[in-house]
Amino acid sequence: MKPNIACFMCNWAFCQNNVELSSNVKVARVTCLGRVDPAIVLEAMANGFDAVLLVGCKPPDCHFVEGNLQAEYTAKVLKNLVSLIGLEPQRVKLLWSSPTDEKSFNHYAKEFSKEIETLGSSKLSLKEVDSKLKIDVLAAKNAASDFRLRVLLGREKDLTAYVNVYGEKMPEREFDELLDEIVFGEFIRHKIHLLTKTKPLSVKELAEASGMKPAIILKQIVNMRRKNMLALDHVEGTTPLYKALEVK
Amino acid sequence: MTSNGNTNVKRQMPPCRSACPARVNVQGYVALLQRGKFKEAVEIIRQDMPFPAICGRVCFSPCEDACARTNVDQAVAIRALKRIVADVEREHERVKPKPIPKKYTKKVAIIGAGPAGLTAAYELAKLGYPVTVFERMHEPGGMMRYCIPDFRLEKFVVSNEIAYIRDLGVEIKTDVEFGKDVTVESLRKDGYEAFFFAVGTQLGMKLNVPGEDLKGVISAVDFLRKTALGEHVEIGEKVAVVGGGNSAIDAARTSIKLGAKEVMILYRRSCEEMPALPEEVELAEKDGVKFYFLVTPKQIIGENGKVKAIECVRMRLGEPDESGRRRPIPISFSEHQYQVDTVIAALGQLMETSCIPTGLLDKTVRTPALKIDPLTLETNIPGIFAGGDVATGPASIIEAVGAGKRAAESIHRYLNGENLRKGRDDNIEEKTWVKNWGSVDKKERRYDSPIEKPHLSFEEATEYLQKTKKKAMFEAFRCLGCGPCAECLANLELCEGDKAVVDESLCIGCNTCVAVCPFGAIKKDEKEIARVNEDLCKGCGICATRCPERAITMKKQSDASIVNMILATAEGGK
Repeated sequence: MKPNIACFMCNWAFCQNNVELSSNVKVARVTCLGRVDPAIVLEAMANGFDAVLLVGCKPPDCHFVEGNLQAEYTAKVLKNLVSLIGLEPQRVKLLWSSPTDEKSFNHYAKEFSKEIETLGSSKLSLKEVDSKLKIDVLAAKNAASDFRLRVLLGREKDLTAYVNVYGEKMPEREFDELLDEIVFGEFIRHKIHLLTKTKPLSVKELAEASGMKPAIILKQIVNMRRKNMLALDHVEGTTPLYKALEVK
Repeated sequence: MTSNGNTNVKRQMPPCRSACPARVNVQGYVALLQRGKFKEAVEIIRQDMPFPAICGRVCFSPCEDACARTNVDQAVAIRALKRIVADVEREHERVKPKPIPKKYTKKVAIIGAGPAGLTAAYELAKLGYPVTVFERMHEPGGMMRYCIPDFRLEKFVVSNEIAYIRDLGVEIKTDVEFGKDVTVESLRKDGYEAFFFAVGTQLGMKLNVPGEDLKGVISAVDFLRKTALGEHVEIGEKVAVVGGGNSAIDAARTSIKLGAKEVMILYRRSCEEMPALPEEVELAEKDGVKFYFLVTPKQIIGENGKVKAIECVRMRLGEPDESGRRRPIPISFSEHQYQVDTVIAALGQLMETSCIPTGLLDKTVRTPALKIDPLTLETNIPGIFAGGDVATGPASIIEAVGAGKRAAESIHRYLNGENLRKGRDDNIEEKTWVKNWGSVDKKERRYDSPIEKPHLSFEEATEYLQKTKKKAMFEAFRCLGCGPCAECLANLELCEGDKAVVDESLCIGCNTCVAVCPFGAIKKDEKEIARVNEDLCKGCGICATRCPERAITMKKQSDASIVNMILATAEGGK
């Protein structure tokens, strides 16, 4: 069976071709690929698409000057989140188009379609999605909508391309490490938040449910209590149980 | 034309558009070209002027000189892009326009079917006036047809652009000489209420040296006109062209193409002061034209009534004169001769006074000139307007187009009894969002107009065209879109016309939107709340994507609508 592919395409990309669509590729035209929110892409994946193709204009050409740069940051975070969910990061692909490109969009779509076919269909596209996976996807989506991640993405260019008031410039690698850390942190936090929403859980239970080390969970719980995302519900014996608080 | 009544607010424009005398929306059509919308791009150009193909070939392109990209590398090849959109449209996508219904009954007469006259006719026809253009020659087009040689501007291109104007319902009467066949009085009797004189400058200036009456001395305009008409002009083997403007270059190149063995251009200043287009000069050099700078003719020596040689004096450059160029001063005892058969005088042109009603002429100046208001183009006789070369002296097509547009506006106001001056002065502010030119990526020029046509078979042609179109689109991406949002396109539904909106109750003043907006359209106000400048916002939506509190949404394309676009068509989704 052919994989279902969601394609977000910049209005200014591949304009010369009448994009003929094969039935398995659904295209949403957006003003600029920088417009595509990582949360939207995750929403598409949660709705059963096997893979996502992001089509933008080849740098350095962008009608909106930096839209493709922003799209690159988005794609970076998306790949990270998708692998945290437990899917292959190859399911998110960033594709550059240029007027001088000889090949048509269809060519690339087919190529990507084949790549995905070898990966098989996404676990999210099954009729009965694993409840754990459901929580993971939701956590990823929430993480992508989170304040911290969005601010950081918005500041990436500022931080890596220009010097700050102290004349310092952040090396891109350092920034990427920071971004990975934050993506991971946000993901775990939102996961804990979702898990503790229904009933109070202990660190041990949370560690089991998410497959993480208890130390990581505890660290995040401390953070979350400070951020008013989580509160101590009650203590069972010597084990404290936590429950999520409503965030705004 | 002034669209909003508020004259205090300056209309913001990118540098290319504000440099263009006809105010062509360059940024608009270049943006359309990025998306491969060739046909729509021509429509955008036609909103401002009727000659995309002609200007795409021979305009001196002040837009490119002003292009903001010159701060980074080279200007965007605006002229070449205009040429290709016009050519693609003409050859492939032209739909014959429907005549515009006549909204008004007052008739307008335009004298002279050159660029100024035709533009005025075009603009007035668009407004709904019955317009008649009177032309002395057999074909309309004026200098575009008769003075620009075929190798620079093909005649069929001129005919085609004029055909478009005719199709809109403009009546062009050729072979009618004003002053002889018709006069202002006779036209008034026929019901014409407003007149626009755009007769141009048809007489070549004289050299004013002894020997000028010899056989073999001809003015550049006459020479070019005769060649264009297909008349035989005897030029011999050696030709000297006096002057340094575009007509001089055209005359020199034409002479070479007519078979002259040796063609020289004699110019009294140096290379830098030459008014001709640098690329034309280059092409002339390639054709084998020789340039002699800092020489001026002193006399023409004849033999049996025919030109035998031209005697010249060397010059040196003195202080700059009122035109800003350095004044040439003759060096005494530097006389020398060139053996030539023909002397072509390309020193400039003067108007023919015979076709101008006597009351219009300004008697106070030595050279014939018209008394006109430079803003409204009114003459001292009510209802009569004049513009183009006849008013300004020989200039360019695009300046004539600008004059034609202004005349059309004036005539429209005059016929409706409105104030001619109110809100007319150009309230234009050059505006670019780029703050730091150093941060802009360098991109080399990627496309230029072909100098020679490739020889292709029928099958190859389609492929060649596709490639050229792609190259042009690639070049269009070099445009920074440095001006404010290219307006108008949204009205034509060619662009999304999306704008960011800030929800004040959600904004926390984090500055992220200010940092991501590529155009600096978002600024925080004194309450630390983000404000969107709608002129600068181009609707990319990056701010909406990055806003951590989701306080910014887009007017048209919301996140939900993007998701729906995907899900609505999805059968495979759950």
